[in-house]
Parts: sequence; C-alpha cells; structure tokens
Amino acid sequence: MAISNLNTFLQEYFSAHHCEILSNHDGILQIQLNEKMDRALMNRPFYWHYIKKMGRDGDPMQLTLITNQEQTEVKGERIHFGSPRLQQILRHLRDNERFTRLFQVVNTNNNTALHPWLVVNMKLSYIGKHNKDEVFSIGLNLINGMMKIDMMEFLQQQDFQMQISDYCYTITPLIKPISGYKRILTVINQYINDQDHKWAKDSLEALQNEIELLKHFYEDSPEEEREQMDKELADLKERYHPKIRVSVINGGIFYMEQM
Amino acid sequence: MQQIDMEHDVSFIGALEEKLEQDGPFSPWSLFKMAYDAELTTVTKEFNGLRALEFLPHMDFLPHQIDTAKQVIEEMHGRAILADEVGLGKTIEAGLILKEYMIRGLVNKVLIIVPASLVNQWVKELNEKFYIPAAAYRKNYSWDQYDILVTSIDTAKRSPHREAILDIHYDFILIDEAHKIKNHNTKNYAFVRALKKKYCLLLTATPVQNQLIEIFNLVSILKPGHLGNYESFLEQYGRDRKRINQDVYLKQLVQKVMVRNTRKETSLDQAKRHIETVWLDFTPEEYEVYNELDRSFQPFASFSKITFLRELCSSREACYLSLQKFINDEENQGREILQPIVEKIGQLPHHAKAQKVVELMKEIGDEKVIIFTEYRASQLYLQWYLQQHGITSVPFRGGFKRGKKDWMKQLFKDKAQVLIATEAGGEGINLQFCNYMINYDLPWNPMRLEQRIGRIHRYGQEKDVHIYNFAIRNTLEEHIMKLLYEKIVLFEKVIGHLDDILAELNIDSFENEVKSIMNGSSSTGEIKIKLDNLAAVIQSIQEKSMQEERNYGNI
Repeated sequence: MAISNLNTFLQEYFSAHHCEILSNHDGILQIQLNEKMDRALMNRPFYWHYIKKMGRDGDPMQLTLITNQEQTEVKGERIHFGSPRLQQILRHLRDNERFTRLFQVVNTNNNTALHPWLVVNMKLSYIGKHNKDEVFSIGLNLINGMMKIDMMEFLQQQDFQMQISDYCYTITPLIKPISGYKRILTVINQYINDQDHKWAKDSLEALQNEIELLKHFYEDSPEEEREQMDKELADLKERYHPKIRVSVINGGIFYMEQM
Repeated sequence: MQQIDMEHDVSFIGALEEKLEQDGPFSPWSLFKMAYDAELTTVTKEFNGLRALEFLPHMDFLPHQIDTAKQVIEEMHGRAILADEVGLGKTIEAGLILKEYMIRGLVNKVLIIVPASLVNQWVKELNEKFYIPAAAYRKNYSWDQYDILVTSIDTAKRSPHREAILDIHYDFILIDEAHKIKNHNTKNYAFVRALKKKYCLLLTATPVQNQLIEIFNLVSILKPGHLGNYESFLEQYGRDRKRINQDVYLKQLVQKVMVRNTRKETSLDQAKRHIETVWLDFTPEEYEVYNELDRSFQPFASFSKITFLRELCSSREACYLSLQKFINDEENQGREILQPIVEKIGQLPHHAKAQKVVELMKEIGDEKVIIFTEYRASQLYLQWYLQQHGITSVPFRGGFKRGKKDWMKQLFKDKAQVLIATEAGGEGINLQFCNYMINYDLPWNPMRLEQRIGRIHRYGQEKDVHIYNFAIRNTLEEHIMKLLYEKIVLFEKVIGHLDDILAELNIDSFENEVKSIMNGSSSTGEIKIKLDNLAAVIQSIQEKSMQEERNYGNI
C-alpha cells in the first residue's frame, strides 16, 4: 500500500534498522541513529574514517523529523514528500531492499511443508509524449506453476521472518527461479500486447507530424545543414518515440504453507 | 504494437539467483514491504496532472503558474517559450516543470543557461524552492560529472566547454533571457541550435522586440518547421512585427509553443502599487546655475547640453564631473564659458533631491528602501549624504561581480536600510523583502521604470509597494514627468501592453527619441509640443492594441 502516514512509516523504517526511537508524539519523531544508519544518511564519511582510524566507536547522531507542518517552534528537520531527506530514505530503501528470502511464520506442532514462491514486484513505465507507470506484484508457485497477481496485497495479510519456523520444512523448487521469472515475463508481455496503446499511437502521430515539419524546415537547406537536421530528428525520436520500460522494484523467494 | 520500444530489466533474476546461492544477504520482511510501498507512493499513475505539487507543499504557487506548467507538459510536450511579463514568476514556472519531469523520471541531465549575474540566484532558487540539486559551473568541474549545471552562455560557448557540452545528450535545457539569442546570425544562436536536447524552455519577457523574425528564430530552436522555413516566413510575414496581431493563423501557431501571462489576467495585483510623484523645487542658487547652463549653451553640441542639465537635476557631483571632463578636453569649444559655471556648481548647497530623500526616509520609518539613480556620481554622493544623517546604505551596480552583487543584496537584507542602485544594476535582482522605492531620477524610457518597479513588485511580494518618483519643477524633469509619464497614464495601473507598444516604436531607440526631441528643440515650448505628440502616438497605439487584444486574445 502507498504510504499514507509518513510518521508511522518513518518510525517503522528506523525500527527495522534497529535504531532507538527516543520519542514520537505530535508529529515529532526523535531517533537515535546507529552507526550503520548514520553512515547511510548523515553524509559524513570523514568523521567515520578518522574515528575508525583512532580505534574509537564514534557517536552516531540523533535525528528529529517533523511530519506535522504546524510544529513551527520545534527544532528539527521538516520532512514531507519531496523533501531531500525523504527522497534519500526512499532511495536507500530502493537500493538496499531489492532481494529477499522469507519464511511464513507458522505456529504448529505438526510437520508442515512450505512451498516456494517466486515473488516479483514490477514497474511498467509507458513513455511517450506523455508518461505513466503501472505496478504489478506477481507470485509464482515454484512447485505447481500457479500464478497469482496482487501478490503483495495477499502477503501483507501474513507474517514472515528470515528463519524457518519450528516443525516446518521447505520443498525444493521444481521450477527454477529463472524459468519462473521467464513465465512471469511472458504474462507481462501478453498483458502489454493485449492493450490498444492509444498513447503510443498518439505519440507516433505527434512524432510523424513533427518530422514532417522538420523536413519542411530544411527543405531548401544546403547539405551541410543536414547534420543539424539529423540531430533534431534524433531529439524528436528521443522525446516522442513510444517506449515501455519494464523494471523490477524488488522480489525474492517466499516459503509458504499450501493455500 | 511493434513500433513500441521495449526495455527489460535484465539483471534482476541473475542477481537473485546469486544471492540464493550465497545465502544472502536478504531484506527483512518489514523493509521489503516498505520498499514496495515507497515505489507505490512515488509512481506516476496518470498520464496527466502535476505530481510535483505534492512534493512541494511549502510552495504557494499562483494559479497561472500551475496552469502554465501543466500546459507546457501536457500540450507542448516540454518545449516552450515562457513569456510572462516581468515579475510573474517565470523562474517558478520553469522550476515546477523541471521538478515534474524529474519526479516522473524523464530528466536527469540538465543544462541551465542564464546571464552571468543570475547564475547564483538560479542555483539558490532551484535548491531552496524546488529541492533540485543544481550547481553553478566552476572551472574545475567537468560537464558530464554533474547532472544539473547552471552557467552563462559566454562560458558555455567557449572552447573547450563548447565541445564538451555539444557532446552531451541533455534531457532538459533552459535558457533565461532568451531574447538575447533571437538573432539567427549570431554564434550564440548557432550554439543553442546545436545543443542535443529532449525538453527545452526559453524564458523571455519580450519574445518580439522589433521584428517578427525574432519569434521565428526562437520557435525554430524548439520546433524547427513549426512556422515554416526562413524564406517562406520572411516572404509571408516580412519583418513587420505588427503582423502577429493581424494574422490570426500565425498567432495560433505561436500560441502552441508560447505561454504568456500578463499581470492584468493574473491575480498578482493583490500587492498594490502606490505611486506618488514628488515635486521638488531647486533652491534659487540651483535654479540660477541651471538656467545659466541652459542659456549659455549655444556654441556646443546640443547633446552635451541635455546631458549636463540632466546631471545637474541629479546631483552637483554628476554634473561637475562631466563638465570638468568636457573642459579638460582641449578640442572642445566654449570651454571658457563653462569654467565659471563649474565654479558656481562647486559652491552650491546640498542638492534639493538629496534633502528630500532624507525627509522622506523619516516619514517611511524603519522600512527598507531601494533608491534608483541614473548616475554613479549621484550614487556615491547619496551614500555619503545618507551616512551623514545616520542612514545606512549599500551601493549596487551592474558592473559588480556576481559575488559582490550577492553580498550587497545580503547586506541590504540583513544590515543596511537602503540600497542605492544605478540603472544597469537593476536586471535580475529580486528584492521582494523590500516594498519602498524611490526613483531619484526617472529614466527616459518608461519600460526601464517598469523594470525597476518589477524588482520589488513581483511574485513573492506580500505587502503593497510604495513608489516615489522625484521630479524638479521647471526643468527637463518636469517635461519628462508630465508628458512622458503622466500623460500616458503609466502610473494608473500596470500597463500590460507597455512592452508591446514600445517595441512597436522600436524600444531601443525610445530614449534617443526623447533626447533628440530635447536636442532638436530651440525652446521649452517646442519640447512640450513634440513630447506631447509622442505621448499622443503612444496613447493611440495603446488603445489600438487593447482593441486588438480584445479581438484575438493576448499573444
């Protein structure tokens, strides 16, 4: 789900990174960073370089993040969508949380088999004269090949951990992750092919119009200006030629009880 | 569709398999979820609309600025001329457009070309208002190293920068004060045409100054062929800028690549202008010298006479210095006649205007005030005179280096009460924190007065602005004030058509026109009649163009 409460999101983010939450009230969040997060967010490599050289532990900084814009008296960083700090945190998440392998938390006294699922979260970017993105979360059972969309929404109702629960055991995949990934891509490509892509037609039409204008402009020009025209043609294609970029947000293997 | 290019992530699955083999490291469930949520939050779900607004909650955009950004992105596909009148926030619109493209992930590599004096201001505004990490180009940078660089065209077009820049594929190019590259025969123009670019904004308050071919040249940077080719355009529309209002078709074409907001149609008038003419009298001694100078001038080139008289209306110092220079040049005739006058000037008491400034400052109280004068000598004198009366001031000139300009502006903001600027220093400094202006002497071109006022009456000004225009009775200044300013009713309301009108009369020569009237007249009466005629012409064009605008909408 998209982030709706920034304050909660930030608290969870720092907790997940094992930073102590000093206080959190009225939209003012105070955090004691640990070394790892200080290095990641505070941009002071020299400090850490010299502290380590001297064989010391160093003092990670504290952060006060204010999500309540009406708190004008308190000293700290105002944080909101688009602020450099939040951008930095989102980038940190994007760069570092790409891969996972998780086990469903199961409370049981009986031997329980966990099925491996390949989960891939993807972003489709439609780029033409206008652009938009679409996000897909797809899961593929690596035993029986069953495929599920809106996988993250489904997973969010369960709990997962890094270690396997007691009495549980995993089944070795029959389908290799790479084959599973290819199946997912086939579905995505099918989905793309099934659309009518009016946006792309519009873009191509606009491109064609612009190319005609350009050619008219250079109609009577001497040969040496052709280079300029070619450059402008390339610029036009770059701007209008429709393109779909399929990128993976993150993904991994999830071991789950048979549904 | 076969014509759509596909781009696939090819690294993900291999990297995942590698991690599985090496048994990690893996993300915990909480962070994995958060990374997904973060992506959901930042994706662009719609083809239309501005996402940047959610990202900039601290900014209060004006409706016309948001509309402009939308129009440029959705309808003009990122190539446009932003031609708002001075002070309506072209920078803000451009920043919003750039931010939107960056959020949508369509722009990484950016080049921003602005006048050298504005480089720091652009960097500051982009960083502070838009969180766009722009940097000013410095000598030891390489052009491909930084993604968002701000520089001047003089730097950019010089070797080896030129070659390095032309090698780069820019996602976004912005050119401020684009009217300076309107001539297609210049190196600047050729350079800009040669840039490799995806999106491009040209910013100018005066897209057409003299000839219609100027708009053709600007449009050809954005969309070559949009207005046909050079020959066909010249043939069809000639060089006459008036044709743009006559030809509805041409006008529509231009509107497809140009946005122009005027004060009249926007809500900027919230901060009102209070403009007051302050009439002054010279002391009898001053009038005596003034009249003596006026009378005794028959043998010299009349050009000097006008200049000397104008200077005397500004300060003893300004006049004294140039008279002295005139006398020292042995080739000049009539030096012996001037010598006694120079001596008399040396004896004069403090200038009536300077005294009035101090008087006015007492009324204004603690507020910041900007004073404009035409002469450096007057600037220095005023600074000294104000200091004598315990009023702190800093000077500002066009010739100052970039750093010094920024420093002076900061000093004015934090320490001094008054900023004394000469004309050339006016362009590009934004002083919204100040809302009092004294025009110590009036420029002879109403457009330049508008530019001065635009320094404080612009986007971001929250208070009403107070403008005081000084004029000395029974001097040249009275003619200028009465006939040039009051008659054209410039002060009643901001006149949106002013730049159009002046362009029609050829803006560059406007001041010379007034000078030549002054020079070519043998009596005060004659000056009056001629200026009267000029004012009448302006008035009639203004009425006509307002009529046209009602017919066709503003271009």
